[in-house]
Amino acid sequence: MVVLAVSIISKSGKVLASRQFVDMSRIRIEGLLAAFPKLVGTGKQHTYVETENVRYVYQPIEALYLLLITNKQSNILEDLDTLRLLSKLVPEYSPSLDEEGVCKAAFQLIFAFDEALSLGNKENITVAQVIQNCEMESQGEKLHKLVMQSKINDTNEVMRRKVTEIEKIKIERNKTENEKSGPKRTPNNFNDMNRDPVFHDIDLLPNKAKEHPSAPSDALKKAPVKGMVLSKEQKKTDQFIKSLEAEGEVILEDTQLSAIQSRSSSSIPPSDPITVTIEEKLNATVKRDGGVSNFYIQGTLALQVLNDVDGFLQLQIEKQDVPGLTFKTHPNINRELFNGQQIVGATDPNRPFPSGQNETHLVRWRIEGLGESFLPLTVNCWPSVHGNTTNVDIDYEASEMFDLQNVVISIPLPELREAPSVKHIDGEWKYDPRKSVLEWSVILIDQSNRSGSMEFSVPAADPSTFFPISVGFSALNTFSSLKVTAVRPLGEGSSKYSQRVRLVTDKYEVV
Amino acid sequence: MDKPSTLLVHFDKGSAAMANEIKADLEGSDVAAKVEAMKRAVMLLLNGETLPTLFITVVRYVLPSEDHTIQKLLLLYLEIIDKRDSAGRVLPEMILICQNLRNNLQHPNEYIRGVTLRFLCRLSEPEVLEPLVPSILENLEHRHHFIRRHALSAISAIYRLPHGDQLIPDAPELVERALASEQDASARRNAFLMLCLCGQERAVAYLFSNAERVTEWPDLLQMAAVDLIRKVCRSPNRADKGRYIKIIISLLSSPSTAVVYECAGALVSLSSAPTAVRAAANTYCELLASQSDNNVRLILLDRLNELRTSHRDVMVDVVMDVLRALASPNLDVKRKVLDLVLDLLTPRNVEEVVLYLKKEVVKTQSGELEKGGEYRQMLVQAIHSCAVEYPEVAGSVVHLLMDFLGDTNVAAAVDVVLFVREIIETNPKLRVSMIQRLSDTFYQIRASRVCSIALWILGEYSLSLAEVESAISTIKQCLGDVPFFTVSDEGETTDSSKPAQQMVNSVTVSSRRPVVLADGTYATQSAATETISTPSVTPGSLSSTLNLRSLILSGDFFLAAVVACTLTKLILRLEEVQPSKLEANKACTGALLVMTSILQLGLSSYLPQPIDNDSYDRIVLCVRLLCNTGDDVRKIWLQSCRQSFAKMLAEKQFRETEEMKAKAQISHAQPDDLIDFYHLKSRRGMSQLELEDEVQDDLKAATGGFTKETDDANRLNRILQLTGFSDPVYAEAFVTVHHYDIVLDVTVINRTKETLQNLCLELATMGDLKLVDRPQNYTLAPESSKQIRANIKVSSTETGVIFGNIVYETSNVMERSVVVLNDIHIDIMDYISPATCADVTFRNMWAEFEWENKVAVNTVIQDEKEFLNHVIKSTNMKCLTPPSALDGECGFLAANLYAKSVFGEDALVNISIEKQADGKLSGYIRIRSKTQGIALSLGDKITLKQKGSS
Repeated sequence: MVVLAVSIISKSGKVLASRQFVDMSRIRIEGLLAAFPKLVGTGKQHTYVETENVRYVYQPIEALYLLLITNKQSNILEDLDTLRLLSKLVPEYSPSLDEEGVCKAAFQLIFAFDEALSLGNKENITVAQVIQNCEMESQGEKLHKLVMQSKINDTNEVMRRKVTEIEKIKIERNKTENEKSGPKRTPNNFNDMNRDPVFHDIDLLPNKAKEHPSAPSDALKKAPVKGMVLSKEQKKTDQFIKSLEAEGEVILEDTQLSAIQSRSSSSIPPSDPITVTIEEKLNATVKRDGGVSNFYIQGTLALQVLNDVDGFLQLQIEKQDVPGLTFKTHPNINRELFNGQQIVGATDPNRPFPSGQNETHLVRWRIEGLGESFLPLTVNCWPSVHGNTTNVDIDYEASEMFDLQNVVISIPLPELREAPSVKHIDGEWKYDPRKSVLEWSVILIDQSNRSGSMEFSVPAADPSTFFPISVGFSALNTFSSLKVTAVRPLGEGSSKYSQRVRLVTDKYEVV
Repeated sequence: MDKPSTLLVHFDKGSAAMANEIKADLEGSDVAAKVEAMKRAVMLLLNGETLPTLFITVVRYVLPSEDHTIQKLLLLYLEIIDKRDSAGRVLPEMILICQNLRNNLQHPNEYIRGVTLRFLCRLSEPEVLEPLVPSILENLEHRHHFIRRHALSAISAIYRLPHGDQLIPDAPELVERALASEQDASARRNAFLMLCLCGQERAVAYLFSNAERVTEWPDLLQMAAVDLIRKVCRSPNRADKGRYIKIIISLLSSPSTAVVYECAGALVSLSSAPTAVRAAANTYCELLASQSDNNVRLILLDRLNELRTSHRDVMVDVVMDVLRALASPNLDVKRKVLDLVLDLLTPRNVEEVVLYLKKEVVKTQSGELEKGGEYRQMLVQAIHSCAVEYPEVAGSVVHLLMDFLGDTNVAAAVDVVLFVREIIETNPKLRVSMIQRLSDTFYQIRASRVCSIALWILGEYSLSLAEVESAISTIKQCLGDVPFFTVSDEGETTDSSKPAQQMVNSVTVSSRRPVVLADGTYATQSAATETISTPSVTPGSLSSTLNLRSLILSGDFFLAAVVACTLTKLILRLEEVQPSKLEANKACTGALLVMTSILQLGLSSYLPQPIDNDSYDRIVLCVRLLCNTGDDVRKIWLQSCRQSFAKMLAEKQFRETEEMKAKAQISHAQPDDLIDFYHLKSRRGMSQLELEDEVQDDLKAATGGFTKETDDANRLNRILQLTGFSDPVYAEAFVTVHHYDIVLDVTVINRTKETLQNLCLELATMGDLKLVDRPQNYTLAPESSKQIRANIKVSSTETGVIFGNIVYETSNVMERSVVVLNDIHIDIMDYISPATCADVTFRNMWAEFEWENKVAVNTVIQDEKEFLNHVIKSTNMKCLTPPSALDGECGFLAANLYAKSVFGEDALVNISIEKQADGKLSGYIRIRSKTQGIALSLGDKITLKQKGSS
């Protein structure tokens, strides 16, 4: 009851691939296969040939014969079943059903034969199962790899921490040395507001950092370089991003990246001598079954003055009372002027606002205690399991207050081999296999599409894998509706200015 | 036995130089390149290269790879490399792979584990397996069934190795425990198979403890159970056979047809009790009815045929069930069914069978069946043989069959008319009604050949006055008015019924190539036979009732001669039975008129082809005879004809019985065969030896493990000396020809006092031969000898030549020395065996085959028959022409010979010789075959041997 061999030969008798399941000498199998083409008659309606000792059960596939060699006692019903299965496997693996194709796929075919007939015994197996067995995608292995990876990450983390600690110690030591030996570096107050202290440390110790060849310090070193280069050498950045994109990295050239990047990459070199930027950042954590926590808005008013001459100015602003809104002004700003006349001006009129490429943050504000109804965009996600697939329905609803731009809703997915099948979508989708995140993007949400939905399905997965969903968008008006109405130069500077107002998401998640 | 081969992959551009490329790729880090390199390495190994240095590269660079494809290819690589040295010890470096295999067995990927376990099943080195055993056993507990399945197979394979029971002493217990808790069908099957092979009593215990639930088992497991039962019943302890049979019977109702089929087979081998055999036969019949696949049906019929030979009495009862398979549209199936049924006829069931066949014949008339004509022919033949064996049924069918005389399928009509001819001779009771019927239906007959036979029957068997008169009038009616053409017709051909079209017809006829007559000679006149196969009469004339007239007008003068002869015979008989002389004379003149008209037609220019001489002579003879009758002639015409026909029938029957006897002779027991006494067997099924032989031998034969030892005396005859006695190296070969391969056992002897290094036997082949392995290099000590074996594959019947050199180096001469070997000729006769085929098939093949080799006879033998026998003997063929046809001394001889090669090729030979006046033989031997090889080689052989001096 054992199949002796499975073979594929061309009609002319060339043996293309053959797998034997029973010990037999090479000369014997080659002899059997060589004899076969001569035994096959034409015009017969049955597809087996018996010789004195063996039975061939075959199936012609275009220019090929797929044949089983069995002994004559073998069970023909089983053998035909097997042959039927195998004949479905051949086109699965062979790119074309001719000599060339089979030669190319000979080894895959042999592996598949092994699965379909384990050691010559028939297996109750389907084509899909054979393919699955041959692909060898194992959940166990993935898990194992993940565990290994996380262990490596943990170790790396520990290492990195150690390195920073060591470096901090070194900085401390250096600082004390600097204090002793050289003049202290005068920190620019305004500029310091923008800068991350860690980067300072690195800037201060470029040589020392280089001396550390370890991975974490390299990583640290690279990050600021990227941040600096981006704004200055746009060309290079573009190339870099493009190549990153080609590698499957998602690059959003908009504001909802990390704080550092948004600051640096989004600031287009201003052409007007005076630029006012009003930006609000939205933070919210929405629970999947309703309710919102951590919902607050952070706003900044930033000024950028290109020439020193224009530095002497005051800004006339217009603000509205919004419940829960509190302002904080820069210590150098005249608070009375601000509260009373809604004018932003320096306390010391002889001291100009700093000029140059950097923005100077003049006012900060914060809105807290907002209700759920104030959310510009709410997202609902409904995963449901049907058999071995999970269907996920997601919809959004935007409030009337804002017209939202560049809306991106990122849904984490379980690890998949292929993209999920999206059945219906308002907008566009993109699947990042590396992070296994499905991104649903809508360029603009306005009056026409205040609500939208998407539906997709993936192989069965725990509903919790689809959370947290992070949402990113931007809008052109703000919660506080703070506006600069005029710029009043105190000296002979120009009053021409440009104003940019926007609302962006900082961290908006549905958990 | 040679090393087993486990896979073959086509590969044609191999060279040893690739080894370096492969090595470089393997050492690199590119996964895709590595995969390709592994593939190429495996292919090179399969191609016969040894690549000894590659192993270490593989161990260093491939073993650690994470890629799944590479790991799988690695396992294939390990599968095919030589794991033992020439002395049979395991190579020490093999231990290097152990660690990797063990890692694989603990790999988190279940598929890696599975394929590794599967690989271990093919591994037979205990040294390598031993350290892996604990890991294998661990896998028995794994939650994934894919792993458990293969772990069970691996344990089974290891336990069955020589000394395998020491590697896993408690394997049967482990497996039994695993089986008890296992859920996966395939894993259970593997476990059960393992128990069957290694711990039969445990398997039996498991089977019995689950006897009630066997029907619920998955089909894979049921198959294994049936297998076990077969095997167990071989052992002498058969007290509990009833229990096994019970299980089998319950399994007969399994939903899986494969299991049912297997059960039926097992049942027959378990018991020869009629009930069991009947159950098996019924099962087969049910499957026959339910399975639509032709392959299955044909094989089921084979099984039933086997049952027939051993249990004919039981099979007789299921005849009607078998007949139902005639409903299959496939002709092969139908043919097999009919063959089977015809062997199962008894006086009791013959009526029923014939009735069924009759119904089938009627069904073919509706014409919706594809190939209805061919099927009808088969049915007619079947009914024919029924009637021959049981003449009493003939009466019920013959009239029905006679309706088919006018069948458009000429072959079927010919069969019918032959059948009628035989029945009318052997069954005198039916004569009157059949003649009556024949006269009535004669006008329907369209084919010339059928016409001539029907005419012969009419002439021969119309005895009474009324019959003779009606026969004469029928013929005359069919001929129509004489003369056949008028003078005015001759003038303007366009006006007549068969003008230009007939021209075309005859032109095509004469342009055909020569036709072979039944005795193998070429027909020089095509008109006589062509119309047999081409009833290409103009459609208009077919519809007319004057079938004879239209045939004769189409130029069939052979038929015309038959008409003349028949008329003559009828007139002669009429003169005997007609009291009125006047009437007889009247009829006689009428017949003469017909004959002269035919002659006139033949000689006129009305037909493009004039009458041939043979027919002319015959008709003239008839005319003369009627004008001038004598008693001698009368006797010849009226009696001798019939007698010779009766003699022919008798001889045919005689030959058939002879053949039967000869067949019976063959199946007699050999001197040392085991004899089973039927009465002592007490219906216990086949003996143990028989059973064991059946299953084991079948597998062994299939894998080629069978080598019949021929007696030594014969062996010595086939030794070939390859070098001279004074050569530094003496070699002789012993050539064994198996079916598809030739094995050369070459003995090489070093005749010098020096050590010969790198001695290599280089072989080259001509013809359809292929060297399988590359011979290795050897070092030969002074005056020592070495046996070298070379395998050569043969793929068609053709004379092949093997050339060779022996190349070697000695320590003092730097360059290699060469000894050229004698050629080894492989004789075509080793591949040819005598065979028989039907006359018709022979002629079809003769017409179809493309290669003809014509050899002029040139021999010293003076006697035709002696020459024929000489050719038969020297070519190992069978003479198809019956000996009676070769009787007599007429100076001519024509005979057909036939043989089949082991590759299934046909070889046809026709010998036509004539004895010249000077006593020498002249003529030609023609060989035809589908392939050039046979025609050429056989021709060479005959040219060589025909001289006959040997």
